[in-house]
Amino acid sequence: TGVVIDSDHKPEQVFCFSSVVEEFGHIALESLRRGSSPKIYESAAKKLFVPMEMVQHGVEGLVFLLMESSKHMISEVNFLDCVLVLGFSEEVNRFLLKLYQEHQGQIRTIMKQLICSQPTYQNLEWRLDVQLASRLLRQQIVPTVVTRLFLTSGTDSSSRVLQTDPRTLLHIIYTLEAALAAVKTSHTRRILRNIK
Amino acid sequence: MRFRFCGDLDCPDWVLAEISTLAKISSVKMKLLCAQVLKDLLGEGIDYDKVAKLTADAKFESGDIKASVAVLSFILSSAAKHDVDGESLSSELQQLGLPKEHVTGLCKSYEDKHSALQDKLRETSLRLGRLNSVSWRVDYTLSSSDLREVNEPLIQLKLQTQGAEPGSSETTVVSVSADKFRVLLAELKQAQAMMNALQ
Repeated sequence: TGVVIDSDHKPEQVFCFSSVVEEFGHIALESLRRGSSPKIYESAAKKLFVPMEMVQHGVEGLVFLLMESSKHMISEVNFLDCVLVLGFSEEVNRFLLKLYQEHQGQIRTIMKQLICSQPTYQNLEWRLDVQLASRLLRQQIVPTVVTRLFLTSGTDSSSRVLQTDPRTLLHIIYTLEAALAAVKTSHTRRILRNIK
Repeated sequence: MRFRFCGDLDCPDWVLAEISTLAKISSVKMKLLCAQVLKDLLGEGIDYDKVAKLTADAKFESGDIKASVAVLSFILSSAAKHDVDGESLSSELQQLGLPKEHVTGLCKSYEDKHSALQDKLRETSLRLGRLNSVSWRVDYTLSSSDLREVNEPLIQLKLQTQGAEPGSSETTVVSVSADKFRVLLAELKQAQAMMNALQ
């Protein structure tokens, strides 16, 4: 199966020139990585002597092509079949294929980040403090581990402050190590083998 | 194999892999690259154009450039974290296959910036909020709606704090009576004496 490109997403005739396609390819990739802005479309439109809407539609069409192809991980043959429908020159088709193949991994990584809904672990900072005295009691020794857990869900990030004593920390470590060990059991391995 | 600069743990696989990437540039260029990475670790920012120029001869792709910056960053900050001396770092890096001239340059840069690095790491360690400033004012209350002649001093304290969440700041204003303030001051002085005893 291939990717169906409907009329809304057909890149414009301006794609006849290969140097133009390169520029569009570059803008499309940047747009996937960092988002786009009217300024980028305007400056490209000025360079190529075309209206801004043409640039915008061209880039959006290219982004759609790259995203759908990467999503389904379509083969070289299928990709070329899809692109053939658009009626560009052999050179343009080859360039588009190269663009797809070189950046497929990157595009899939970006798309993975977009669907994330559960907060996921990003980083953990910690410090070890020892309370020596308080207003009510002098001559204490109370070790405490203070941690800050950094989480991200998509583009939002948050953090939680957690505090624990050494004994609880040992218990946490023990529990997490048991979780890691569960990945190595034969039962888990059997399932993972079948998913591949 | 346990390495001190990795905190007495095994060297991560990616570090091992990228050490061979580092060996591809000349030792002179690597020393300059170290200098850039150190600037970044010390918060002075990194000049990516200079980094790109340094790695251009070895025809590094963008992935290789990022990898060499990352591995140098790791080696230098991890060695500072675990307070490793230059000689031990030198011998451990040579064990991992980094050529001698590269190691000499790296360790010299490391030793030069060793204490500055540790100061920076100490500064950026986890803190749950900070007191930024204190300002005060002494008022004298003459009278109030409850009592015609009050005649008492009152202290207004304004505390500017940086909250637990990075980038949040808070202002707290408190008014303290003379007696309560004397107690507060005495207690804080005791805490200060305890802190001084620890220095």
